[in-house]
Amino acid sequence: MKKLRIFKSHRLNRSVAGNGLLFFLMGIFGVLMALPLVMIVNNALKPLDELFQYPPRLFVRNPTLDNFVDLFVAMNSSWVPFSRYLLNTVIITVGGTAGHVILASLAAYPLSKHRFKGKDTLFNLVVLSMMFSWTVTQIPNYMIISWLGINNTYLALILPACSYGMGLYLMKQFMDQLPNSLMESARLDGAGEFRVYMTIVMPNVKPAWLTLAIFQFQQMWGNTGAMFLRDEELKPLQFALQQIAAGGTARAGASAAVTFIIAAIPITFFLICQSNVLETMTTSGMKE
Amino acid sequence: MKKKHSLTLSQKRTVNGYLFILPWLVGFAAFYIRSLFMTIQFSLSDLTVGVSGYSLSWVGLKNYLYAFTAHGSFKQILTSSVINMVVDVPLIIFFSLFMALMLNRKFRGRTLVRAIFFLPVILNAEAIVDAIETAAMMVATGVSSSSQEMAQSASGGIGIGYYIDLFGNLMISRDMLEYIVGAVNRITSIVSASGVQIVIFIAALQSIPSSMYEVAKIEGATGYETFWKVTFPMVMPHIITNIVYTVVDSFISSDVVTLAYNTAFSEFNYGLSSVFSLVSTVVTCAILVLVCGFISKKTFYYN
Repeated sequence: MKKLRIFKSHRLNRSVAGNGLLFFLMGIFGVLMALPLVMIVNNALKPLDELFQYPPRLFVRNPTLDNFVDLFVAMNSSWVPFSRYLLNTVIITVGGTAGHVILASLAAYPLSKHRFKGKDTLFNLVVLSMMFSWTVTQIPNYMIISWLGINNTYLALILPACSYGMGLYLMKQFMDQLPNSLMESARLDGAGEFRVYMTIVMPNVKPAWLTLAIFQFQQMWGNTGAMFLRDEELKPLQFALQQIAAGGTARAGASAAVTFIIAAIPITFFLICQSNVLETMTTSGMKE
Repeated sequence: MKKKHSLTLSQKRTVNGYLFILPWLVGFAAFYIRSLFMTIQFSLSDLTVGVSGYSLSWVGLKNYLYAFTAHGSFKQILTSSVINMVVDVPLIIFFSLFMALMLNRKFRGRTLVRAIFFLPVILNAEAIVDAIETAAMMVATGVSSSSQEMAQSASGGIGIGYYIDLFGNLMISRDMLEYIVGAVNRITSIVSASGVQIVIFIAALQSIPSSMYEVAKIEGATGYETFWKVTFPMVMPHIITNIVYTVVDSFISSDVVTLAYNTAFSEFNYGLSSVFSLVSTVVTCAILVLVCGFISKKTFYYN
């Protein structure tokens, strides 16, 4: 019996039927989740008469790019060109994501790997702050933003996002799992704290900060900024979408095209980051 | 020459530590700590908006008393939100761990499948939801009535009640059964709420050293044993991470927050709204402390 097991042990102990069932389940969930996206893609390619067809069809019959042309023509003749909205969103998203990942991982390193006074209090405060919903603290937030004098600038959206608690929490949890001996050996070799952070800690928690980047990118991308940005030329894409969608029937084609653009970019970002997560080799080279 | 003031090692560590935290802490203090204190202040006073800004008048615990003794629906909504959260969180955690395990295996088109499971998170953005709804509205005015008819016709004959009785006869306790039925009803919301959790779990699975699996293999562990002895202990800390995330996430979209929001922005009662959000924050924190305290006792940390 023992021998048999050794021979088989390079394969997973799962029957073909079990695998089939798992993939079947995954397929069902996958289809459920992919449906809205399929709808978005097809709607963006539908000519107007198909958009209003009854009963509605999921798949497009005569795909055209009319909606995109419509979008750019319609929006470029308006007050603020469409590309400006896109640029605003990109600035806000990149700023908020990069800032948050950098600040949160910097702060998470000592919280996870150093011992000093006030550490636990600080960390508990972080967890407490996450419980505090953004929607409810809108009034104090607005007051703070205008007190800082950054109302109606990109900073009003970027700065609060940089110091959100969730990223710090996530990074700390992942850094907790790094073996201390890795850092000790670097210190013995004469590396300063910042060097340890840059060359030892960050490469080893790459899956964590890529995850955080995905997460934060998505959050920033979905921001309408309606509260803080008043100037039309500062407003992000999501705001433009709301405006176009509010246009109703007349703008249905343009609205479908914008929805496609808005959904496509975070998905692309996700795909790039995820394929990088796979390439990481973690906590290798340890001999205990 | 002035004698150089030297620090002890632990003091150096402290300074170093705070240097790393400082940039983040400044923003955190400015935006989050301050708004926390302002909310507490609001909850203890009457806020009136005038021409030159707002003015606060101290009323003590009046708002709290009102919320708990006189307000019509607060206690009820709070309880139902908490119950929803308690029911949803374990389901989301199990589902996302399961999905992460599946998606962590090597197969063709894995990134694509992962992306599909992350879709709900992306498509949940406010503006996209709006756009999809408008698009659906335009074509679906007739569809909605027909689907209602379908739902009605399906409820006769062999409905969910039939299955409940069937399982009831199989000696499964009523409470357990109701939980399962509830879970089935929540499938869509659970699946769409677990995108981020799946990604976190995948990252956790990726950071398990492969040498551990090699050892397990050499020792002749089965897949089942490997899961419980290697994988599960190693992702345990991230189960806590995910619980925290899930609780925060489900809390932010819960009815209590909606109530607080409406109280503030359609009834303009900022004091009462602050009370609602503070009380629900405290309740959520209490739950988190309990759950995490219980789990972290059983958690294995690598160091």
